[in-house]
Amino acid sequence: MLFFDTAKAATTDLNPVQQMSLWDRIQPPVDISANGHKIMDLFNYTTFMVIFFFILVCIGLFGFAYFYSHKRNKKPYYTYGNKKSHKNVGLAFGMAVFILIDCAITIQSNNDLVNTFFKFPKGDDVVRVEIMAQQWLWKFRYPGADNVFNTDDDIVTINDLRLPIDKKVVVQMTAKDVIHSFYLPNVRQKRDAMPGRLSRMWFELKKTGEFDIACAEMCGTHHYIMKGKLTVYSQEDYNSWIEQANKVVKSENDTEDPDLYWGWKWQE
Amino acid sequence: MAFYEQHIHEAPKTFLKKYIFSFDHKVIGKQFLWYGIFFLGVGGIMALMIRWALAFPGVAFPLFGQFLFPETGGVIPPDTYSMLFTLHGTIMIFYAITPILIGCFGNFCIPLMIGARDMAFPSANMLSFWVAVASGVVLLASLFTPLGGAAGGWTSYPTLSTLIGSPGVGQTLWTLAIFILGVSSTMGAINYITTVITLRAPGMGYFDMPLTVWGLWLTAILNAIFLPVLGAGCLLLIFDRVFGTHFFLAGAAATSGNGDPILFQHVFWIFGHPEVYILILPAWGIVSDLLSFFSRKPAFGAKATALSMTSITILSTLVYGHHMFTTSMSPLLTQSFMTLTMTISIPSTVFFFNWLGTIWRGSIRFDSPMLFSLGVLFVFGLGGLTGLYLGTVTTDIYLHDTYFVVGHFHYTMAASVLLGGFAGIYFWMPKMFGVMMNECLAKIHFWITMLGLNGVFMGMLLVGYGGMHRRLYNPFWYEFLQKLIPINTFITWSAILMGFAQFFFLYNFIHALIKGKKAEDNPWNVGTLEWTIPSPAPHYNFKEIPVVKCGPHELGNPLLSEGKDFQYQTEELVKA
Repeated sequence: MLFFDTAKAATTDLNPVQQMSLWDRIQPPVDISANGHKIMDLFNYTTFMVIFFFILVCIGLFGFAYFYSHKRNKKPYYTYGNKKSHKNVGLAFGMAVFILIDCAITIQSNNDLVNTFFKFPKGDDVVRVEIMAQQWLWKFRYPGADNVFNTDDDIVTINDLRLPIDKKVVVQMTAKDVIHSFYLPNVRQKRDAMPGRLSRMWFELKKTGEFDIACAEMCGTHHYIMKGKLTVYSQEDYNSWIEQANKVVKSENDTEDPDLYWGWKWQE
Repeated sequence: MAFYEQHIHEAPKTFLKKYIFSFDHKVIGKQFLWYGIFFLGVGGIMALMIRWALAFPGVAFPLFGQFLFPETGGVIPPDTYSMLFTLHGTIMIFYAITPILIGCFGNFCIPLMIGARDMAFPSANMLSFWVAVASGVVLLASLFTPLGGAAGGWTSYPTLSTLIGSPGVGQTLWTLAIFILGVSSTMGAINYITTVITLRAPGMGYFDMPLTVWGLWLTAILNAIFLPVLGAGCLLLIFDRVFGTHFFLAGAAATSGNGDPILFQHVFWIFGHPEVYILILPAWGIVSDLLSFFSRKPAFGAKATALSMTSITILSTLVYGHHMFTTSMSPLLTQSFMTLTMTISIPSTVFFFNWLGTIWRGSIRFDSPMLFSLGVLFVFGLGGLTGLYLGTVTTDIYLHDTYFVVGHFHYTMAASVLLGGFAGIYFWMPKMFGVMMNECLAKIHFWITMLGLNGVFMGMLLVGYGGMHRRLYNPFWYEFLQKLIPINTFITWSAILMGFAQFFFLYNFIHALIKGKKAEDNPWNVGTLEWTIPSPAPHYNFKEIPVVKCGPHELGNPLLSEGKDFQYQTEELVKA
């Protein structure tokens, strides 16, 4: 049958990563950031709680369905569930969910936001990058030798973001045409890039190598190919790259090209 | 309690008046059922096409792919893929779930369950259906425009949905169709609210209403308040597209003045978050009733269930911001929306506890409506709990717009509502059409659906955790997603299995209509008002308006005489 043949061919041809357990397959991409573990820790805590309460639900659901089926229990217990003991058990469950899950994760998440993710680093040591998203590519802008954005000596790259390890990085972004979302799976963060608005995000990288940048917000037909490359350099490699880039930037930047001047004054 | 006299009108004679332009709420309910089932099929096939593209990128869609996409040799092209997921979402939410759960059950059940002869506004009711038909026609017409249908996702965020992102007239027609459907649903909603308030049978207080009516009533209230908001957003979008205004245009795209694309997101989600409760509340109500009916004991804490549904209705209007955590809202707003979102789990726990309390020490009959209701407990448990990850801001920053979200909202909105809808259809089939459906086929339908459905949505949660984001034509463009191909293939096979299971339902349904076993007046032995009248219900419903003397869940009272374990709502409660 054609139906099954094509399906089979597809699975064998397009499957480059054979021999992997389900557990390994569903693991998120490697965490390369200093703070991504905070997100994952909260995820894991929530998962334990969710599994615990879902098991309780299943015990009730399957246990009651088994023990109180018509076959085993002919006489139902006539109650409206308004006895004091009923209400107390209900209240206990409500409080357990409220304290163990709601309060715990809200407080944890709020602390992480206030102390980490909303606490934007400042100072000369911070690497600053401006991002312009458009259908369907990412443009990155470094301030260049004069450390001021939107001047002739800015380094502008397309789909190619290079950053140093162990430095705090702040990115500011906007979009040219439609809404995009700057998604770094390895950093566990994403932020929408919207036309007419500046949004920002910060992170610190802890591992060298090459990683994917993705667009996470539907942005048109070719949304799926809007992929960038994130290269994390060691401090020396980064310095030599940026020196090299600063040297050639004056000769390579076409100062007549209006497309070069999409940057903005850095918003502290 | 009825506010005014209801007369018995003569039964319509001509075919046109009886089946097409009928004022009878039961006929309109059935019309909505056909309408919903038709679109459920269309949306389901679209879902299978989406799944096919994700699991087997570059492989021709089987059966009719060659016919639909001859220029690519049957492979779904990327622009069509965007239209498919846009219309899958739109159709399933507005054209399948809304007509079946709200249009069909709302129309059919509300007057019968509260002891009324018809809706408060029969002609608005009829108009509501025909406006919905007009909307469906406009939506389908949008597919045949030169640049194809809408392709901006069912949320249709500007500026993608303005002329910048989608120049075709298809998007305009899509927006218009949603606006028209909003008009239809608003008419229905006002009708339901008025009916419940004015036409309850004498003696029926609000807490004597079955919980199904509670669910439908709360849904109608949310609909009446928030659909106009969506309508306003759609109108502004149409203005931007057709008349050159700049409500949602900003940045380089705005040639004069400056709008804000985020404005639409606020407008959309003020409606959009209540919308998910609009869809699920009727299913909650149906399930709360059915669990009690088939456990043969009163609903556990029925009043608390009704009140927690009410508080969820209120809370649902205050939490919409959690859809927008990645848009860099002000930190204060972000934190407030997170905290408010979390409070929803308290009333949810209350009625979940009540559901389990209802089956506790019951005498459970595993008829098909009960199986589907228990299924809702299982999938809604999963769906509700996975929502916790998305309510907390930090985990949401990772999971936002990934398949984790897709899995979560399908568990809550698609799986629970679908199972609840099937439970309702199996349960009210005798009263609607006077026939019984085949129990054996219904059970096969349930188990295969359950298997397929959990394969699909559990798989989605897993790939979402693995980082796969939504709305990708070919996710394997990204290296870190390559390892998820086998899971995606598994999801697709599960989806095919789930689609296959629906043939059992279709066969069962059609077979029952043509030559099903004739139903008794009260095949399930329950006491709500619709079971006091013959099956199928006569056009005037109640020969005499019933007088209600007890609650809807009077089952298993030990004081009842031998051989009877339930009381009709029209009977005096047996007390010691």
